[in-house]
Amino acid sequence: MNDVTLYHWEPNANSGKPMLALMEKDVAFDSHYLDLLNFDQHDPKYLAINPQGTIPAMTHGDLVLTESTAIMEYIDEAFDGPRLMPEDAKEQWRIRWWMKFMDQWLAPSFSMFGWKFFVGPNAREQRGEDELEAAINRIPLPERRVAWRKAVYGLFSDEEMAESGRRIGLGIRMLEEELGKREWLASDNYSLADVNGFNLAYALPLSQPELSNDELTPNIMRWLRAIYARPATKACWAMGKTDMVKRVDILEQDYIA
Amino acid sequence: MSMTLYHGQPNGPSLTVLAALFEKGVDADLQFLDLAAGERHALPVAGQTEVAMSIEGEGPVLLVDGEAMADSVFVGCYLDDIGSGPSLRPADPYKRWQVMMWCRQIIERLAPAAGYLGIHEASAPDISDDRLPRIQSEDLRARWADWRDGKFEDEKLEDSRVKVTQAVEKCEAQLNGHDWLFGDFSLADLETYAWLAGMVTVVPSAFVAAPRTMDWLARTKARPSVKRALAQASQDSPEASWAPGPEINRWG
Repeated sequence: MNDVTLYHWEPNANSGKPMLALMEKDVAFDSHYLDLLNFDQHDPKYLAINPQGTIPAMTHGDLVLTESTAIMEYIDEAFDGPRLMPEDAKEQWRIRWWMKFMDQWLAPSFSMFGWKFFVGPNAREQRGEDELEAAINRIPLPERRVAWRKAVYGLFSDEEMAESGRRIGLGIRMLEEELGKREWLASDNYSLADVNGFNLAYALPLSQPELSNDELTPNIMRWLRAIYARPATKACWAMGKTDMVKRVDILEQDYIA
Repeated sequence: MSMTLYHGQPNGPSLTVLAALFEKGVDADLQFLDLAAGERHALPVAGQTEVAMSIEGEGPVLLVDGEAMADSVFVGCYLDDIGSGPSLRPADPYKRWQVMMWCRQIIERLAPAAGYLGIHEASAPDISDDRLPRIQSEDLRARWADWRDGKFEDEKLEDSRVKVTQAVEKCEAQLNGHDWLFGDFSLADLETYAWLAGMVTVVPSAFVAAPRTMDWLARTKARPSVKRALAQASQDSPEASWAPGPEINRWG
């Protein structure tokens, strides 16, 4: 048994951030897989560890940590292994700016599209509406029930989808421009911003082929392939159990137009 | 290293960065901006990505050797790293995680609520039609337009009051037996004070049963760095000065 246990779903979005950070640092951890679509995160056993019922969470000895980006900073500081934050204070500021921008402005739009067109339909097909409805009704907090129902059934208004679409387009252009300035995102060194960004963007050339490909966004494609080539990334994505994470295979193609 | 801080009235994010600067003894040329008149968007560096697209809204800008830095908590971390004196974040990784997590919850929950209630209380901005298009971020521009047109949603106002009340409840619990939120004075005290001080008159009910929070507010206000930051005000009651802040979470 390791000193560290990570409670996570697929190596994707928030769960993938601390998974990949731990693997880049070569920190041994016990993996505790929670099936988000089985609502394992609302199981009383998990709520005893993380009362907020959010995924991921990490325990280190007696300590409990939540919030994926904050967990990553802890991992980088608390364990040996290659640093995932540069020494330079201004670079650190830039990395944190971009992580916040992705976490709070861009990722919610990506996830709205993801739930509408991929996760929601798959969940409904696999589990059936009755089973999903029963699971949603077991969620303790009423506002969380509303949010989950919205996600599972894709109940987003046209305005919400249009605004998310606008942000995805603009966010891709911003990432492309930023990655034209430096080898890695917001820094000359591979960092937590890249770990974060890869989890957000790895499936872009598949999910947004008209917006992200080798012709339109060569810097994004170079960056995604460079992260995908890292042994830690390969090992991390191999921990996935569903078709969702197999989308990463698209990065094996040399050229996507 | 040349450093210029463009800041608004010492309230919200401008207060956090001004006080952090003074806490850490960092020298910077201070330039006042009338944030409520949209002056931030007329800065020569207004087009830099991290200024134009900062999701903090109308926060200060720290210009360091040509690079414009925004987002008060992270600018605070930067000043903490380069300045002198006691650290604004604990050295222990877990305690540091606690401070940064707290700040994140303030950024995500209290700041949008306080910003929304703040501009609702403040008089509508005198911002001309030709200045609005200068605001590059479309969603920030929409918040400005709503403010100017007096468009506020009752549901969001009520939810914002709840968020302020919850933040005070969290402070009250956290301050049990402590002078500061996390042992020593930290960035968490600064960031929380900066968004909460102006809410005492806007959501008075939140503070009625919160004696520890009221004492802590007074204690924070009396710190030399905060006093000096507040002395940068060009009007009485800077805590009543607001401009559009972060957006309210679109996922609810």
